[in-house]
Amino acid sequence: MLEGGAASAANLITQMALPPPDPQFVLRGTSAAVHTLHFSCGGQEPDVPVLFSGSENGLIHVWNLKTHRVDTALDGHGRKSVYCVETMGGKNRLLSQGRDQRICLWDLEEGRTAVMDSVFTENVGFCRCSLLMVAQGRWLMAMAAKALEEVQVLELPSKTSVCTLKPEVGAKLGMPMCLKLWQVYKTHNLVNAGISDITIRPDKKIVATAGWDHRIRIFGWKKLKPLAVLDYHTATVHCVSFSNHKNPRERLLAAGSKDHRISIWSIYTQT
Amino acid sequence: MALFRSPRSAFGALRPACVQLTRVQTAENVCRLAARLAAVSGPALQELQEYVLFPLRFALRAPGPQRERLVQSAVQCMASVLAATAVRRPELLRELLAELCACLAPGPAAPSEDVKLAVTEALRTLLHSASGDVSLSLYQPSTLPLLGCAVSLLLGLVERERAKQLKVSALKCLQVLVLQCDCQEHRPLGDDEAQQCGDLFASFLPGISISLSRVVTGDIKQGHKPTVAAIRLFYLIVGLVMADAQLARVPKSKEKLPEKESRVSEILVHRGADWSKSTAEKLSLLLRKMVEFSSVHPHWKVRLELVELVHHLLRNCSHSLESSFTHLLKALVGLVNDESSEVQSRCNEVLQGIAEQRIIAQSRALADVLSENLHSLATALPRLMSSQDDTGKVSTLSLLLGYLKLLGPKINVVLNSTSHLGRLSKALMQVLELDVTDVKVVEDRRWGCEGSLQPGVQNGRCQRKYFRFFTEEKVFQLLQQVCRVLGYYGNLYLLVDHFMGLYGESAMYRKQAAMVLNELIAGAAGVGVDVLQEREASPSMDDLKGSVTSILEEYTDQANWYLITSVDTEEVSHEQHPVNHTGLPARPGGTCSTILLPSPELHATARTMNSNIWQMCIQLEGVGCFAAVLGKEFRLLLLTALYPVLEKAGDKTLLISETALGTLAEMSEACGYGSVQHLINDNSDYLVNGISLGLRQLAQQPHASRVLDTMLRHSDASLLPLVEDVIQDVLSTLDQCYNSQASTFLGVLHSLMTALVQWFGSFCSEEQQQQQSTECQNRTLSPGPQAVTARDMEQFFLDYIRQKQIAEGDVPDSGDEEADEVPTLAKPEPNNCETEGEAPLPSHAQLAKDVLERCIHLLSDRSLRVRLKVLDVLELCVIVLHPHGNHLLPMAHRVWPALVTRLISDDPLAVLRAFKVLCTLAQKCGDFLRPRFSRDVLPKLTSSLLSQAPASARARPVYTHTLAFKLQLAVLQGLGSLCEKLDMGECDLNKVADACLIYLSAKQPRKLQEAAHSVFLHLMAVDPDWTWLLLTETCCPHGYEPPHASLRPVKLAGMGRQRNELTDNVRLLLERLRQRESGAQEPPP
Repeated sequence: MLEGGAASAANLITQMALPPPDPQFVLRGTSAAVHTLHFSCGGQEPDVPVLFSGSENGLIHVWNLKTHRVDTALDGHGRKSVYCVETMGGKNRLLSQGRDQRICLWDLEEGRTAVMDSVFTENVGFCRCSLLMVAQGRWLMAMAAKALEEVQVLELPSKTSVCTLKPEVGAKLGMPMCLKLWQVYKTHNLVNAGISDITIRPDKKIVATAGWDHRIRIFGWKKLKPLAVLDYHTATVHCVSFSNHKNPRERLLAAGSKDHRISIWSIYTQT
Repeated sequence: MALFRSPRSAFGALRPACVQLTRVQTAENVCRLAARLAAVSGPALQELQEYVLFPLRFALRAPGPQRERLVQSAVQCMASVLAATAVRRPELLRELLAELCACLAPGPAAPSEDVKLAVTEALRTLLHSASGDVSLSLYQPSTLPLLGCAVSLLLGLVERERAKQLKVSALKCLQVLVLQCDCQEHRPLGDDEAQQCGDLFASFLPGISISLSRVVTGDIKQGHKPTVAAIRLFYLIVGLVMADAQLARVPKSKEKLPEKESRVSEILVHRGADWSKSTAEKLSLLLRKMVEFSSVHPHWKVRLELVELVHHLLRNCSHSLESSFTHLLKALVGLVNDESSEVQSRCNEVLQGIAEQRIIAQSRALADVLSENLHSLATALPRLMSSQDDTGKVSTLSLLLGYLKLLGPKINVVLNSTSHLGRLSKALMQVLELDVTDVKVVEDRRWGCEGSLQPGVQNGRCQRKYFRFFTEEKVFQLLQQVCRVLGYYGNLYLLVDHFMGLYGESAMYRKQAAMVLNELIAGAAGVGVDVLQEREASPSMDDLKGSVTSILEEYTDQANWYLITSVDTEEVSHEQHPVNHTGLPARPGGTCSTILLPSPELHATARTMNSNIWQMCIQLEGVGCFAAVLGKEFRLLLLTALYPVLEKAGDKTLLISETALGTLAEMSEACGYGSVQHLINDNSDYLVNGISLGLRQLAQQPHASRVLDTMLRHSDASLLPLVEDVIQDVLSTLDQCYNSQASTFLGVLHSLMTALVQWFGSFCSEEQQQQQSTECQNRTLSPGPQAVTARDMEQFFLDYIRQKQIAEGDVPDSGDEEADEVPTLAKPEPNNCETEGEAPLPSHAQLAKDVLERCIHLLSDRSLRVRLKVLDVLELCVIVLHPHGNHLLPMAHRVWPALVTRLISDDPLAVLRAFKVLCTLAQKCGDFLRPRFSRDVLPKLTSSLLSQAPASARARPVYTHTLAFKLQLAVLQGLGSLCEKLDMGECDLNKVADACLIYLSAKQPRKLQEAAHSVFLHLMAVDPDWTWLLLTETCCPHGYEPPHASLRPVKLAGMGRQRNELTDNVRLLLERLRQRESGAQEPPP
């Protein structure tokens, strides 16, 4: 069923003779496959929206979305691939998780590039940690712990352990959001199976998937109707991320790929 | 001379002369008195003033025959007395004035000019000698008749006399009479006194002004002095009588004068509101006439005086003479660009003064006058510009500019009125219309692919434009200033919006509107504006940036940026494949662009293309100008602006690419990059992004590759890592559309390879040179025939035998010294290859390899142009790959079949190019090529040469235009160098020589003979001895004596032959050979 939908969408596109959509911009220069992306556009006007990208060579790049250039490159994971980047509050506090089994907390105030603190996870998997703000300046972070099926919840920034979820609890490695997605997957059979990331737009209207087939696919959230296929990359797309800009017209979709590029798409205005 | 200091002694000295004069009134006696007077000191004479004056006054009244001379000398004498003394009695002053005036009275016996001159001078002296109070006593209502008489007499002189001197003197006299003398002696009048005098002079104003205006507008032959003096007097008196300060104080009703003066009061004028209004009206007429006349007066002093007039009246009578200001300001503004620098500077001063005092800004009426003037001028401008000559245009435009400058900040009032702005902008649009008839603009193409990788980016400001309505540069500069001043004072948003509207409104106005917009921005930023007063607030950087951004957006919009400027080769190739050709840049989401942009086949007349080219240039200049205005702030805009500009820098139209280069230079300067190269390198990420996106939509954006092309041209090796990524994109896109876009891509590949050769070629070519030089050495050494001894001969012979044996496969298998030699020779090669093979190929070589691979596919393209380009690229690839034989050889192997086809059966041009490629290839892989060449190519070439020879020998001159001839020529031209490069074996050389020998025939066309020559010259380089033998077998001019009797006499086949068709050429070649050998012999020691 979905196949037919995709085909008809493609037909529609060709009928309208619209050129295939182009990314608004492509960020180059990570010189390694991009594994994770995170926008931080919430700031007030003089604040420049930024995009954090974590790449395979262990660097976190801070992209200035006005000049489309790297502002700073953060190196804190010993050249091991970074697969999760989150901001804590503003764009000046950053959390990153790398394959060196560490979660680093960064302080980027006033152009600093120092690791403030770090947590050793002792986990060898790929599970990303998850962050939840409980109060101003206090966060809860869940991460996969040393044992294979164990989840540990820490409070940040104090790093005190809140609880540990043992396997008996039955939680899979992941967060409630993920579980929700998982259910949707079960009801809809993907035509182009093989996706490495999936993100729901903050307004919960569309879903973007990063496909192993080098393409980004956009689906309507409610019925998972395929809306568009964004074709630019020349290698597997690793991650997709929506920006949280205040002005809806300036909101963006970013996708990082194995071909070292990050493509920026403006899909709010087009859809 | 003895001076009589005391009155007593002076009296003693003067008395006889006075008595004598009283008795007999003759000129001689007057002279005597004058002589005596000279010896009397001033104070002494003051005492005796009236005594001395008496006989003189008496003499004036005396009747007699020799009156003329007497009057003249008496008056002169009187003047000298008055000059030395002061008149202290009002009655004396009045009497003297009356008496002197009587001398001027016209009548039956009118006095001569000399007398009149003397009288006017004396009058002037008299008025000067009267001290303050005394002279004021003259200006009472009661003396009005006397004054009137004097004024009218003097005016009569001014008007009717012909002598210049007299006129000037009379005018000066009048000036003193109305208390407006230039000299410093007089004390300034008090306000009341001035008011009183003003009242009096008001009665004379009509008379004075009318006669003066007549003088001013009179015959130009009268010279400038009277005119100047008249103008001065005019403004002085008008300025006095009509002074705002005085008129304001005039009481409402006329003052009642005492009864006895009632008659006088009749002629006395009351300067009330009605009077001043009507007078102003009349004066306005006169002023208009005078201004019109004197603003074009040939003498600069007159024009200078006019400036003074305007200045004086504007300062003193800005209310009372309001109605005249239209003309006065017009004159003043028009004189700003006077040819005389004095007038210019004074005029500027005056304008500056006016602006500084904010006369205009404060007085609404004046601003209205100015805006009205502006409006009417703007209305008339197009007509004037098409009808006037260049000087006329200059003056019209400087007038316009002057109005704008004078209005200053008040411009906005004018601009806010739609009709004013509309008129003004339409006028500018029409005046700035470009001349687009020149075909040359369209024809001038940029062919420079070779060599000009880094053309000197000229920092020339603008391209010289050609306008429809004027040619003079000055006119354009004025228009430029007009726009800048508008931008300086005007509301930027309003103006930008309006002209953007015009830009979008019609293609007719687009160029002009863009031009105006560019200047507006420059003006708003205060760049190159010449203004009279500072504006109140300059626009902030954000405002400027906002405007610039919106203009840039409009400029680089697809519909405005991708114009048809040429019927390009690329377009031609499009036409061959109409399926893929849309040529229409599609706007995102807009189908209207198809309507906006006609397809190139429709209207690509030279005129529209020319117009498009100019529009492009203007827009590019605009981008440069914006960059200059914004400075470093422009860096943020580079994201959008750099790509389009680079796109145009690669344009094939010379004008556009030059302008774009200029723009690039300006941008790099403005943004603080040292050079264009830095600009490109530092912003390569933006460009690469644009290119990579452009490549995805090739049909819509055929220019993406061109940007890369330009980047490569203007940068250096450090760029390569930055663009490697996108080059791969280019190659992969090329893979997807070999048919349609090959030609475009080949351009890029060509410049890529040229760049690579330039950047990395140095060490390739070094190696090559080394190789060559060693080869050369070998060559010069081995056949070096210096001092051939018998031993050498023997050695040579033995070597020869051995070589021959080896060649026949008869290799002695053991113990021989050569056995060692062969492996040692062979060894280094594979070793070398191994080490090379292990190391990863450097990126540039890898690129060359990738490109080479694409070339293989394209070698057999349908279009000749493409094939030629491919061959060029191929050659460059080979050069880059030279140091990497390991990779080159397999590629050569793959190229070979396609290349053979080019050599054997293709257009002559392609054949020649293919030969070149082969030569380059042969430098590295000669061993590889040699057998293949002799197997695959040579037989066919030689056979075709042989078979064609008779045909060409018989041919008529027309033959040189045939394809067959060109082929022959190409083969002959290429063959020689190839033989040399490939170092071919004797057997093959024989084949070549056989085929070429017949082309030495005198029957062959000249060009073929020369080509054949070249073949043999190359053969000489390979093997001179063999060539000698070959040639001498055909024809041998000399006999050779054996050096020893025991040797047999030399017998050569060519000896003693009759002269035939080949003889001449062979001799020539032998001669060259001899020179060569002797030349080679000489240098070594």
